[in-house]
Amino acid sequence: MENSRRKFLKIASHALGGTLAAGVVAPLIGLTVHPLMKETVYGTEDFISIGRVDDFPVGVPTKTTITSSKMDAWNIFEGLVMGSVWVIRKEDNSLNVFSVNCPHLGCGINWGEDVRQFLCPCHEGVFDINGRKISGPAPRDLYSFETKIENNNVLIKFGSFT
Amino acid sequence: MANKLGEWIEERTGLSKLLKAALDEPVHGGAKWSYIFGSGLVFLFILQAVTGIIMTSYYSPSSTSAWGSVYYLQYKTSFGWFVRGIHHFGSSAMMILALVHMFQVFIFGAYKKPRELNWISGVFLLLLLAGFGLTGYLLPWDQKGYWATQVATNIMGTIPVIGKYIKILHQGGADYGNFTITRFYTLHVFLLPLSLVFFLFIHIALFRKHGVTPCWKMSKEVLKNRVDPFWPDQIFKDAVFAVGIYAALAGVVFWTGGAELEAPADPASNYLARPEWYFLFLFQLLKYCQGNFLIVGTVIVPALALAFLFVLPFIDRNPSLYPSKRAPFFGAVFSGLAGVIALTTLAIHHDSQDIHIIHQREEAEKQASRAVKLASKGIPPAGGMSIFLNDPVYLGEKIFKESCIGCHMVRGEGGENSPDFTNFGSREWVAGLLKNPKDKKYFGESGAMPPTKLPDESILDITEFLLSQSGNLLNINPERVERGKELALKGNCAICHPFGNKEMKKVAPNLTDYLSETWLKEFIRNPADPRFYGARNKMPAFDKLTDRELDAVVQYLFNLSKDRALVSEREEDGKKTYVFGLTSPRAIIDFKGKS
Ligand code: HEM
Ligand code: FES
Repeated sequence: MENSRRKFLKIASHALGGTLAAGVVAPLIGLTVHPLMKETVYGTEDFISIGRVDDFPVGVPTKTTITSSKMDAWNIFEGLVMGSVWVIRKEDNSLNVFSVNCPHLGCGINWGEDVRQFLCPCHEGVFDINGRKISGPAPRDLYSFETKIENNNVLIKFGSFT
Repeated sequence: MANKLGEWIEERTGLSKLLKAALDEPVHGGAKWSYIFGSGLVFLFILQAVTGIIMTSYYSPSSTSAWGSVYYLQYKTSFGWFVRGIHHFGSSAMMILALVHMFQVFIFGAYKKPRELNWISGVFLLLLLAGFGLTGYLLPWDQKGYWATQVATNIMGTIPVIGKYIKILHQGGADYGNFTITRFYTLHVFLLPLSLVFFLFIHIALFRKHGVTPCWKMSKEVLKNRVDPFWPDQIFKDAVFAVGIYAALAGVVFWTGGAELEAPADPASNYLARPEWYFLFLFQLLKYCQGNFLIVGTVIVPALALAFLFVLPFIDRNPSLYPSKRAPFFGAVFSGLAGVIALTTLAIHHDSQDIHIIHQREEAEKQASRAVKLASKGIPPAGGMSIFLNDPVYLGEKIFKESCIGCHMVRGEGGENSPDFTNFGSREWVAGLLKNPKDKKYFGESGAMPPTKLPDESILDITEFLLSQSGNLLNINPERVERGKELALKGNCAICHPFGNKEMKKVAPNLTDYLSETWLKEFIRNPADPRFYGARNKMPAFDKLTDRELDAVVQYLFNLSKDRALVSEREEDGKKTYVFGLTSPRAIIDFKGKS
């Protein structure tokens, strides 16, 4: 009698303890994995304005700094320099926008006006005005960003590139 | 295999023997429900520790980031509100349970020889609990915590001679700032927990050494013959209690929606501070100790009460456990309790009658929800308060309350002789004006404009047309606008009011772009302009307002109705776009370079 009572108490205590532990720990795990479920650091604009169409002369690559804002958990940081791009306006007013970071190891590439090519100072990577690789160790053409023009404003999609 | 590993560990540590010894501890006189309070406190302490530790991975202790990080925890994570709620109400539960526990061991006479140190370590634990409550309250750096804690640090300052230094040491400086947070944080998450664990260890070790103090009514025989093992007899009861505590806590958290977070601390505001409920009695006591007697409430009474608790085991030397034999001590302890309860009740009662406090609570609630809304767009790095500094509605409301509310009422507050601005600029407000301009809510009997005698539908059409000119009417109905325009221009309105040309003057205000940003600004700057009320004007001109202030007032006015968009309102809830660190060309290149 006393023994079976104690046996029951033992099982019941284990069950209670297990339920309690699960009930306490579940929300704690839920809270801890939050950064897996939601972005915590992200840009606030899909398309970032980089200037007016007329700011970019036809056929001459222009280097432009990109500023935007980012959310960092609870903070918003505005007017942040996100990086730089080369912008080339074509005859038909369409635009090519390339990352200034070389697809080899990320050095900043320059525009050589005399040869009319993009030249990487680090390992002699060479790209044409359309971003295509001509020579050098880079595995691909320049990174290029999608653009659109709204009310004469040039917007680029800085978050993704091809 | 598992057995072998078990043996291997056992041989080297003696762990299971230790555990067995701990679990088999005999409970003389039998397991009892009256012994559950201590273990309930241990459970709560563990709960506070684990919820607290997880929250430190979100909390950021600085005066510019504390509020934002708590805001994020509360509103932007899925379980943050729950975990924070458990921690918040858990602290109150600990305080309550510690008092119940203390009264249980007092009534049972468990402080008597040889358990004096057990009791004394308990008093230290109680003090540490108060310390947790005090330091934790400040950490969110919201209005409530900020101002209530000031009262506490000012009390420290009243201690003779050393008070000044103690206060500066706690604040980390002459005023509140970053070091106040870092110091309170260090206390709350390192020093107090370490001290509590230290005293708890002593407390429980001594309890184990002396065993439980049974009820005075228990006979010697029962005490000797009835011996239950701690496991499972007492632990079962403790487990039931712990589950009960947690269920009750979770219930309260769901019921209340979790702990409050008020607007970010504003050192320039004059907020009426109220401490956490378990300090209210001290707070109330201070009200009776004015001037030179302040120190009676801040230092002398608390010190005497504490001293009494510390020396109780030494002044009550009679070994008998019978309450009737300890009448003076029961009298002292329970009149102390009655005093605390009375003071607490008085404090609560007083606040529930005080119109300032009631108003302030409403105001604080409004501020808090506005703060949460603004914060969802991101908090500038300058800190929590900066969400308001950049918020025209907030600034506008301030100016309105300084300059306009004397004449214009908003939601029952303000003067009565000018139009009531509740719901200002909404369809309802304008339609009401057209229908009956002589209503007390609008121009009153002295108003010159006659009521518009048209069917309601037509009045709504005219309203839609009038407001459609403002540029920020939401959900415009174009058909109504067309019909309304027709009615206004061809009907009686245009006889007195000019339309379609800003410069034209007639006997009544020019309604071109009526209630638009520009119209309102020009009107507020000079209502007596012939374009507006002309010679009939009664409103003072507010031409001293700066552009920014005027802009703010207009935004505040727009914010009064749901029909009008705030011009400055950015897109709700910053759209999530690309993820930093994963998609920038740099990151991908760096990664390639390393692999
Ligand atoms: C953090 C707060 C506290 C914790 C976690 C705690 C924990 C415990 C535990 C686990 C026990 C053994 C079980 C029991 O008899 O209930 C105990 C016993 C005891 N506690 Fe506490 N306690 C706390 C606060 C206090 C306070 C504030 C006092 C009194 C000022 C106190 C005085 C005692 C005494 C005298 C005993 C011995 C009881 C007996 O002999 O039956 N404790 N405490
Ligand atoms: S980094 Fe440009 S070629 Fe190597």
